[in-house]
Amino acid sequence: MDDGESSARRSSSRARKVAPKMGAALLDSNTRAQAALARLEALEKDNAGAHEPIDLDDDDEASPDEDEQRPHPKKQAKGSKRKTRQAKALERVASIKKAPRSFLDLLQEANLEALPPNVPSYLRAAVGPPSVGARRHFCSVCGYLAPYTCTVCGARFCCSRCQTLHIDTRCQKFLA
Amino acid sequence: MVRTAGIGGTSSVVVLDNGGGFCKAGMAGQLEPTAVVPNCLARPRSSKKWLVGDQLQECDEIQAIALRRPVDRGYLISPETEREIWERIFKIHLKINPSDCGLMLVDPLFHLPSTQRVTDELVFEDFGFQSLCVGNAPVFTHAYQAHKKPTSLLARSKCSLVVDSGFSFTHAGPVFQNRVVSGAVKRINLGGKALTNYLKELVSYRAWNVMDETYIMEDVKEKLCFCSLDIVRDLTIARKKGKENSLQCKYVLPDGIKYMRGFVKDTSSAALKADDSEDDDVEIMGGSNPRPRRTMPEKQEEQELTLTNERFLVPEMLFHPVDLGMNEAGLAECIVRAVTACDSYLHPLLYSSVVLTGGNTLLPGFKERLELELRPLVPDEFDLHVDLVDSPIVAAWKGASLMAASPDFQGWSVTKAEYEEDGTLRCRQRFLH
Ligand SMILES: Nc1ncnc2c1ncn2[C@@H]1O[C@H](COP(=O)(O)OP(=O)(O)OP(=O)(O)O)[C@@H](O)[C@H]1O
Ligand SMILES: [Mg+2]
Ligand SMILES: [Zn+2]
Ligand SMILES: [Zn+2]
Repeated sequence: MDDGESSARRSSSRARKVAPKMGAALLDSNTRAQAALARLEALEKDNAGAHEPIDLDDDDEASPDEDEQRPHPKKQAKGSKRKTRQAKALERVASIKKAPRSFLDLLQEANLEALPPNVPSYLRAAVGPPSVGARRHFCSVCGYLAPYTCTVCGARFCCSRCQTLHIDTRCQKFLA
Repeated sequence: MVRTAGIGGTSSVVVLDNGGGFCKAGMAGQLEPTAVVPNCLARPRSSKKWLVGDQLQECDEIQAIALRRPVDRGYLISPETEREIWERIFKIHLKINPSDCGLMLVDPLFHLPSTQRVTDELVFEDFGFQSLCVGNAPVFTHAYQAHKKPTSLLARSKCSLVVDSGFSFTHAGPVFQNRVVSGAVKRINLGGKALTNYLKELVSYRAWNVMDETYIMEDVKEKLCFCSLDIVRDLTIARKKGKENSLQCKYVLPDGIKYMRGFVKDTSSAALKADDSEDDDVEIMGGSNPRPRRTMPEKQEEQELTLTNERFLVPEMLFHPVDLGMNEAGLAECIVRAVTACDSYLHPLLYSSVVLTGGNTLLPGFKERLELELRPLVPDEFDLHVDLVDSPIVAAWKGASLMAASPDFQGWSVTKAEYEEDGTLRCRQRFLH
């Protein structure tokens, strides 16, 4: 957006999602690692309503072409071994319906740190921190290269015009 | 073997690339997948029904649509959601009965025990496939390239460095002897999903609040974002006003009444308005500019997004995650680390056959930008050759289709009976990793 002012005017008519905690986290360099994690979390977020439970037993849900799509494959299986597995699966479904477990939960549970270091794993494959190149800073208002930092919240800006806009409307408001 | 399909019979093996963004599906031996469907359920605001996979693409009410994904950061975490999507694919698109078929599955690298277990359960217990063979995107992409270019160094050396940048994440995966060198694979935790979310943040911070418009903003990204080859130059252009700002673009947001889908405002049409108003004058450079679906709207009625530096600052994230406060190396360094983790005699071979695949590599300028950053990091005495596959979203699927049609398929597979006998872990040891 090249026109910061009109952008700001427009945006004020719509609610803005902010996470003040994130701003606080950035202020304290000791929690920078946490801020980086929070950053990735934000970038991995799905939109609202994504994790509401869905009722899979209702044929109307998620399946407008009932005639074509049923019967459900679950109903085909027989056998005792199969049944216990199925029962387990149903329990799992029930638990996930309540609170879907994220990949990060499962990762923690997997305890990959305990593997010997020569075993390839999700953790070992992480690229790791960069070895060269400093962080470049872009203006939080207009996106241009930003030499200045807000002393209150740490946000970047490129010029006095953007600084004014920042202080008036955005200071300490970080996007969730 | 208890499979009913004949040896080398290709008609009864389903090939599935279950990506976090798209599920690609077809039958072994086909040149193209039958279906490429969004790997999610979607619910319009005014509806209680969840749409499944490709039904989203026909939906007329996409504003603030809720998306529910079975795959989180590349791994299957919600099998009951996935089951709905696969079921529709098998019944409506492939028109097959899983219990009559084998399955060739493109699986993520480095499954957790839990995500692997739910995947195998879904395949054998929920759908009852007769047999399963899994492989990963680098191996299949390599196979596809080797098939397309049989005389290339890649094919002759059976060696390449596959960069797969899809929806969930980005991997640099060295392939040697047609297998991935798993100890050397490196991953950046950024993919197309993060790019779309970053675009949402930028636009929401500067203009409209689009935090709930993931689906729309994904389209904006795919139509307008590109990789800058000179960021200072492009930032300077993007700062200019009116005509001089050749990077400025307008995207008309869908309103659910007149426009069911958003579109990039037509260049020629914008040019016609130049006399009326200087500010409306737009010239589009870089990025694709598909035709709008409907006639141009009258002024005032449309909600427009104006994008300038967002177009290239978003993809910039893959090359410099640190700019965003993420403590990760960028793509060029990621590749170097993957190569360096291999035996040194492989280094020249790997650098000679860097293969780019995954949806993000469709960003205009991706290959050129990567070459600019990679060349200075590669020892002078080595050739560097970077190749973009011809169909980044489905290349891994195509390689899997080729391999699933091979007479060796059964030897690579685990049967349902073996799975029931041995459980998930032992079976996996035999797969193509
Ligand atoms: N023309 C385009 N320009 C930029 N990005 C694109 C384009 N087309 C598709 N994409 C992005 O590519 C991603 C999908 O790529 P792909 O199908 O390779 O991922 P996937 O296999 O579903 O995911 P995974 O990372 O889990 O393997 C999406 O994020 C999509 O927005
Ligand atoms: Mg993929
Ligand atoms: Zn600025
Ligand atoms: Zn501030």
